[in-house]
Amino acid sequence: MPRFWRRHRHWLTPALFLLPGLILFSLVILAASVETVWISLHEWDGIGAKTWVGLANYAELAEDPQFYVSLKNNVIWLLIFMLAPPIGLALALIVNQQIRGMRILKSLFFVPLVLATVTVGVVFGWVYDPTFGLLQLIFGLFGATAPALLSDENFATFAVAAAALWPQIAFCMVLFLAGLNNLDEDLIGAGRVDGARGWRMLRHVVLPQLSQVGFIAIAVTVIGALRSFDMVAVMTTGGPYGSSTVLAYQMYEESIFSYRFGYGAAIATVLFVIMSAFIAWYLHGLIKAERSNA
Amino acid sequence: MTITATMLSTTRRRFLKGTGAALAASATGSLCLPALAQAQEITIISNLSNAGQRDILHRLAAEYEAKSGAKITINNMDHEAHKTAIRSYLVVGAPDICFWFSGNRMKAFVTKGLFDDISDLFARENYKSVLGATTNAVTVGDKQYGLPMGGLLWGLFYRKDVFAEHNWTPPKTWTDFLAFGEAAKSASMIPMSMGTKELWPAGGWFDHMNLRINGLDKHIALMDGKVQYTDPMLTPVFDKWSELIKAGFFSPNHSSFGWEQAGAALAQKKAAMMDLGGFVRSAFPEADLPQLAYAPFPEIIPGVARYEDFSVNSVHVPANAKNKQGARDFLAYFYKPENLGAFLAAEGAIPPRNDCPPSNDPLVNAAVEELKKVVGTSQYYDRDTDPDMAQEGMTGLQEFMVKPERRDQILERLEKTRKRIFS
Repeated sequence: MPRFWRRHRHWLTPALFLLPGLILFSLVILAASVETVWISLHEWDGIGAKTWVGLANYAELAEDPQFYVSLKNNVIWLLIFMLAPPIGLALALIVNQQIRGMRILKSLFFVPLVLATVTVGVVFGWVYDPTFGLLQLIFGLFGATAPALLSDENFATFAVAAAALWPQIAFCMVLFLAGLNNLDEDLIGAGRVDGARGWRMLRHVVLPQLSQVGFIAIAVTVIGALRSFDMVAVMTTGGPYGSSTVLAYQMYEESIFSYRFGYGAAIATVLFVIMSAFIAWYLHGLIKAERSNA
Repeated sequence: MTITATMLSTTRRRFLKGTGAALAASATGSLCLPALAQAQEITIISNLSNAGQRDILHRLAAEYEAKSGAKITINNMDHEAHKTAIRSYLVVGAPDICFWFSGNRMKAFVTKGLFDDISDLFARENYKSVLGATTNAVTVGDKQYGLPMGGLLWGLFYRKDVFAEHNWTPPKTWTDFLAFGEAAKSASMIPMSMGTKELWPAGGWFDHMNLRINGLDKHIALMDGKVQYTDPMLTPVFDKWSELIKAGFFSPNHSSFGWEQAGAALAQKKAAMMDLGGFVRSAFPEADLPQLAYAPFPEIIPGVARYEDFSVNSVHVPANAKNKQGARDFLAYFYKPENLGAFLAAEGAIPPRNDCPPSNDPLVNAAVEELKKVVGTSQYYDRDTDPDMAQEGMTGLQEFMVKPERRDQILERLEKTRKRIFS
């Protein structure tokens, strides 16, 4: 045994360390994904027998107006969420100053990260409430009536995504703050010697060093926008009449409320394909960054 | 190494079962119980949102524990969340008793073999003689699969003091109804309080108009998918409904809140009437309850017999329950007239047994009296039709209430769904 161990430990040790993670990953992620694709080729109510229907679920999906509403809403989420990295960066630059009291401000900006998304959703639901919400109080000060954001098909998705944006900004800010703490003092010093200050310092010395963090912030934000589900469930349950659903919520609704697991799985598969494109881009970026560092 | 070996042999289901069992064990504290000579254990999953009913269930369970030596665990779930959870727990990790809804919703699980046939309990306790026709609500193919609980008679609710103050009487005909709406609006009240965030109130409104216009048989044919949603018989229903919407009968922004908030508007005298079941009482403060009164949905087409939505909740023994005998014995105790009566009184529901002590709740008694005048009953939109159809249908009806001009597109979409599901 000791000899066997000595001869093989150069690969056995990492293998053993990786094994638990790999097993969990393949069980919970890979197997479940493959099963989802398999289910999407069936008609299944979640309990009884599955009936093979081939690509019929996808054919129906292509003609389902609700699917395009969800897809469009996912794009809206994506666009709104793209505000998170720049605002997060701006906030990080502001709260990173050495000013008295800045720590309190910094922790205030952290708050949304501490809250569960469901809590954020419920709180914003109250803010938007047309009868007693904060928004109505503010509008009331000017003698106006606040629009009922969550029951208007044109506003609902924007209102929900705006609520979800709040914690996302805080998240990006934390990422950039960590990045700002890792800046190379030598480079900044060299820049100062060369006379760079203010905007030029930021643009040519600081930002280039934050590019990796920025990349991570954008990638995480994209994925966060695509997997949005909890806020929709809490704030509008996809309503009014399905106008604020996103793919993840439609999948849930079809599977759980309409008992159509095959159709739900087909939506999940489409979402998976869309996400894989972004994830592939993310991994590609990560690997490239790792190579250039090595 | 042992860790990885056990992990390899652990399938996902077993893993879930294991954690589930561990959680259940730690929750009930049964781990620390010594193996008492086969102490009977009965687990119940309830979906009761009414605190009074939960208390009575706990009291009855405690009494039964003292009497029989069995140990009863009650897990209460949120009413809406329970509707989704039941689908998984009936398959894996079933309790011994669970709460659900009779009729089509029950049948969906019966045909999948997930509810136990309790005809033996019916025979043993001679329930058919005290339940009468209500037995049908829990019967599939001559066998009984559940015990009917309280019935909810749907209709319009209002405050007596508000009506007295304005000298109003509950509208009896369509003309009355339209005039009443105008009167309510001129008193700066919302004629009909409605919250459609959870969709079903829109389905109920559709039921009540369709029952008044087309009658029970045609309504049930539609629920069973035998009539097209584009059928001309529905034209007057949506014409008249549009009329109400355009006249501003319903709460503004009703899709942004649920029935609780709509019920509160009725209690706070911001709205004149509301279409709901007797559980509207839970939106009222205790002191205001005596003001709450029931009126049937007005007649629309003279000569159409009076049909109402009357939904019956139910209790079941899952087919995968561990202690089916214990479940039956507890149900027999729970279903005694005095116990059942107390349990249902807290909800303001109508007892299914004819030997329950008479209620001292005027609302319940009024509903019992009204029910005698009803010629036939359906249950409720989402209890009468296929769940998939119900989801699409209620979404469409909610959209119609906000955008009545999209009526044709909505009905065509519903018809497409009907065709997919029922053919």
